[in-house]
Amino acid sequence: MSVDLSNVRNIGISAHIDSGKTTLTERILFYTDRIHAIHDVRGKDGVGAKMDSMELERERGITIQSAATYCNWKGNDINIIDTPGHVDFTVEVERALRVLDGAVLILCSVGGVQSQSITVNRQMDRYNVPRISFINKCDRTGANPERVTEQLQDKLGLNAHMLQLPIGLESELEGVVDLVTMKALYFDGDNGEIIREEEIPADLQDAAEEKREELLDAVSMFSDELMEAMLEETEITTEMVKDAVRAGTLALDFSPVFIGSAYKNKAVQPLLDAVEYYLPCPTDVENLGLDLEKDEEEFPVTNDSDDPLIMLAFKLEDGRYGQLTYVRTYQGTLNKGDTVFNTRTGKKVKVGRLVRMHSDEMEEIDSCGAGDIVALFGVDCASGDTFTDGKITCSMSSMHIPEPVISLAVIPSDNKAQVNMSKALNRFTKEDPTFKTFVDHETGETIISGMGELHLEVYIERMKREYNAEVEVGAPQVSYRETISARADFNYTHKKQTGGSGQFGRVAGYMEPLEEGEYEFVDKIVGGAIPREFITSCDKGFKKSLEKGTLCGSPVTGVRCVINDGAFHAVDSSDVAFQLASIGAFKEGYMKAKPAIMEPIMKVAVEGPSEFQGAVMGSINQRRGMIIGTTEEGNYTVVEAEVPLSEMFGYSTTLRSLTQGKAEFTMEFASFKPVPKSVSEELVKKYQDERKEK
Amino acid sequence: MEKEDLVSNNPLRALGLEKEEGAAGRRVGLVMARAGLGKTAILVQIAMDSMLRDNKVLHVAIGEGVEKTRAWYEDILDLMNQEKKVENFQQVVDEVMQNRMIMTFKENSFSAATLEERMQDLSQQGIFKAECLVVDGFDFTEADNASVLNELKSTMEKNDLKMIWLSAVCHRDDERVSANGVPAPCHEFDEVFDTVLLISPEGDDIRLKTLKCSEACSVDAGKYLIVDPATMLIKKA
Repeated sequence: MSVDLSNVRNIGISAHIDSGKTTLTERILFYTDRIHAIHDVRGKDGVGAKMDSMELERERGITIQSAATYCNWKGNDINIIDTPGHVDFTVEVERALRVLDGAVLILCSVGGVQSQSITVNRQMDRYNVPRISFINKCDRTGANPERVTEQLQDKLGLNAHMLQLPIGLESELEGVVDLVTMKALYFDGDNGEIIREEEIPADLQDAAEEKREELLDAVSMFSDELMEAMLEETEITTEMVKDAVRAGTLALDFSPVFIGSAYKNKAVQPLLDAVEYYLPCPTDVENLGLDLEKDEEEFPVTNDSDDPLIMLAFKLEDGRYGQLTYVRTYQGTLNKGDTVFNTRTGKKVKVGRLVRMHSDEMEEIDSCGAGDIVALFGVDCASGDTFTDGKITCSMSSMHIPEPVISLAVIPSDNKAQVNMSKALNRFTKEDPTFKTFVDHETGETIISGMGELHLEVYIERMKREYNAEVEVGAPQVSYRETISARADFNYTHKKQTGGSGQFGRVAGYMEPLEEGEYEFVDKIVGGAIPREFITSCDKGFKKSLEKGTLCGSPVTGVRCVINDGAFHAVDSSDVAFQLASIGAFKEGYMKAKPAIMEPIMKVAVEGPSEFQGAVMGSINQRRGMIIGTTEEGNYTVVEAEVPLSEMFGYSTTLRSLTQGKAEFTMEFASFKPVPKSVSEELVKKYQDERKEK
Repeated sequence: MEKEDLVSNNPLRALGLEKEEGAAGRRVGLVMARAGLGKTAILVQIAMDSMLRDNKVLHVAIGEGVEKTRAWYEDILDLMNQEKKVENFQQVVDEVMQNRMIMTFKENSFSAATLEERMQDLSQQGIFKAECLVVDGFDFTEADNASVLNELKSTMEKNDLKMIWLSAVCHRDDERVSANGVPAPCHEFDEVFDTVLLISPEGDDIRLKTLKCSEACSVDAGKYLIVDPATMLIKKA
C-alpha cells in the first residue's frame, strides 16, 4: 500500500492551562466536518468539548489525558493529539511530542508566555519538534498579540514573527490581514465558516506593508530565491514566501505566529492552512530507531510503507472493549489480522482490530501505513514498547519518564472497594508510567505516588467514579529518597542453626555512591568464594535492602554494591541464606557510608504584579526556598525559585491571601537534594517513633 | 582540589584586585568590549570570585532572562572545574549558588531607584543582603547615564556594597577616548570607575587590557591578560 506521506501531518496541540486549546481543537473538528455542532469546554449545554471526553475534565475545564483525533483539511490527513496543560500531566505531553512531527503552541493573547509555555517549549526542543504559534483569545480585553510575539522571542528564544495582523482587537476583532498574500480575511456565518477575502483596510495598509517587510527580512535567509528577488527587486511570489517560512520552520530556525480567537470563530481556518504549509510531513523529519542487533546503533527509519514494519506504542487506555493501544507507525504497513512482535518481550501478538481514534469514538480501518497514528485493540503491552513484523529487530528511542515526587495512602472502605481499587490501580499504572503504586509491608497500606497533588487527586476521583471504589485518603507525603555519601566496607556472616539443615552465607565487599543511576551490583568474586548460583541471591538481597532505608524508611538510590569475598557451606548455604547475608551486609555497610535523606526540590515560578514581589519572595524564603532570580517586565514580575516540595503544600492559599489573588504559581520537579540536618533529624525521629508504635 | 582553587585564574586574582575588596574602600569596575566579545563571561568570573569567598552577589541582567544568565554561571563553573577537578563538585555548586541572586529587567523598566527599592526589600526581609553588585547590559548611550551612575554609587553606600561591576558596549567606528584610553560611551565619566578593563581581539588572541587600574592592581595600566577565546577563562597574565 502506498500513501502519499506529503499529505500527512501528525501534530500536537500544546499550551498553558486555560489558553483555549481544547476550544481550538473543537473548532478544527468543526471546520473539517468531523463534528457538526460546536460545544464549549464549560458550556451551558452540558455536552462539553469533544476532546475533553473524561467527565472530570469537563467538570474542571482542563485536559487531563491527551486525546487523539483525525481530520482531513483540503486533502491533507491531520492526526491531532490534544495534550494537557498542567505540569502534573507532563508525561502525557512528552509522549505526544515523541510521536508527533510538528506542534502548534497555543498562547493566550492576554496572559502571553507563561511558565507552563516555557516548560512545553523546552519539551518541544528536547524532541526537535518544529512549531508554529497561535495567539488565541484576541477578542479578550487586554489582548496584545505583538507583546506576546515579543515574549516568544525573549522568553522562549524563538525567532518568532507574526504572519498576520489583527483587524481590530478585543471586542472589535473582525478578522486578520494575511501578510503573505496581503489580503484581509473575515469570517462570516454563524460559526465563522464562510471566509471572505477583501483588500486590506486603508488604515492598516501601512502597518501591513511594514510588517511584511520585517517578515521578508526575517525569512529571506532561508531561501536563496527569495533573497535574490528581494535584492533584485523583482516580484516576490506568495509561494516564495511560503517556501522560505517552511524551510525556516522545519530547520527549527523560525517560528511563524498566527492570531485569532477560537471562541469567536476567527482565523482558525488559516491556522489549518498553516499546518499544511509550514509543519512537516513524516518524511520531513528524521526519526531514529535503535538497532538491537548492532548494540543499539542508531539508524534513521525510512517512512516507507513497503519496508519492514516499525511502530511505537505511546499510550495505553483501558476502555470498554479492552486495552486500547495508541501506536505511531514509522515505516511499513500494518493490516488487520497481522501478527506483530513486541521487541521488548519478544512476544507475538495478533492485531484483531485496528481503529482510528476520534476522541472517545473510533472508526474501524483495515490497514495503516508509515506516518499514521492509530489504535490497536487487545494488544497487551506497556507504554513505550516497539512493535515490528519480525523482519527487523529494533527499538524506537526510549521516552523520558520523570520520577514521582509525592505519595499518599489510600484505604478502601470495604472489601468491595478493595477489589475495585485493585482493578483501578492496575489499569492506571499500565496507562501512566509516572503513576506508581505499592503496598507498605509495615503498615499494610496501599501507597500511590505521582507528579503532584492534582495528579493523584485525579486518579482518586477516577477510582471513585469509574470503579465505584470508595477510598479514604491519607495526607500527601513527600517521596523522600535515601542515599550514601561515602564508601564503606561490609563483611557479614549469616548463620542460623535451629535443628535440621541450617542457613549459612558470608558476604564481604563494599558499597559506594553511584554518580548516575539508582543501583549497580558488581561481582568481583574470584576463586569461588561464593558459588555462581548464589551471586544472584546476593543481588536480590541488596535490592530488597534498597526498598526501605533505615533513616526514614524511604527507598535507597545511588548505591553501587561490590562483593569481593565470601564463604559458603556445602549443606547449609542456600538462596535464602545468601539473600539474608546480603541484607545484613547492606545494613552493616549502610550506616558507615554516611547515609543522607534526599528530598524533591521543585522549580517554582510565581507570576504576579510587581507590587507583591517582596511578599512573594518573603513567602518563598520562609519555605526554605532559594530564589534564583526575578524578572521584571513593566508592572509584572516573575520570581523563580527552587523550593522543597514538602514546603509547598498549601502554598496556593498563602499566595492568594498575600497577593489578593492576583499572583499564580506553577511548579515542576527539578532534582533531589539532601535535606538540611534539622529536617533530617526530624524525619529520622518521626520514622523511629512510628516504628515504636507498631 | 578545594573550591578556592577554582578561581586561581580569575581576572580579579590575576589583576591582584581581590585583596583590596572592602579594605581600601568601595570599588566600581567596568568591563568594556564590542558586542559579542564576552563581557558577560568576564563579569560572571568576577562575580564567581566573590561568591567562592562567600560574598553575596546580586547579578542584575538588563534585557536578558534569568535562565540565560543562570546558564552563564553553570557553564563557567563547569569550565573551571574541567581545569581544576574539585572534589564533590555538585555540592560546591549548590553551596556557591546560594550566594547569588539574579534580577532581570527589560531595558525600559530598569532604574537605579527600582533596584534600590528591590535591594532594600530583600535585605529588610533577611532574604538576601548583597555585598557585590554586577550590572550587565546597562545602556551607557542614554543621556542621563551620569546621574544613574551616581545613584548606583549612592546605592553602594546605602547597602554597604563592597564593589559594583558594570559592562559597557563600545563601537569600532566611535574613536572618542578619554585621557586614560577609556573608549566612548564611557570616556566622559571614566573618573567614576576605579578599574576599567577592555576586551580586545588581537590576531588569534583575546586580550583583557587594563585601561585604568587602582594602585593595588598587580598589572599596570596598559598591560593585559590573555583570555582563552573558546572558554573566556584567563590563560595567563
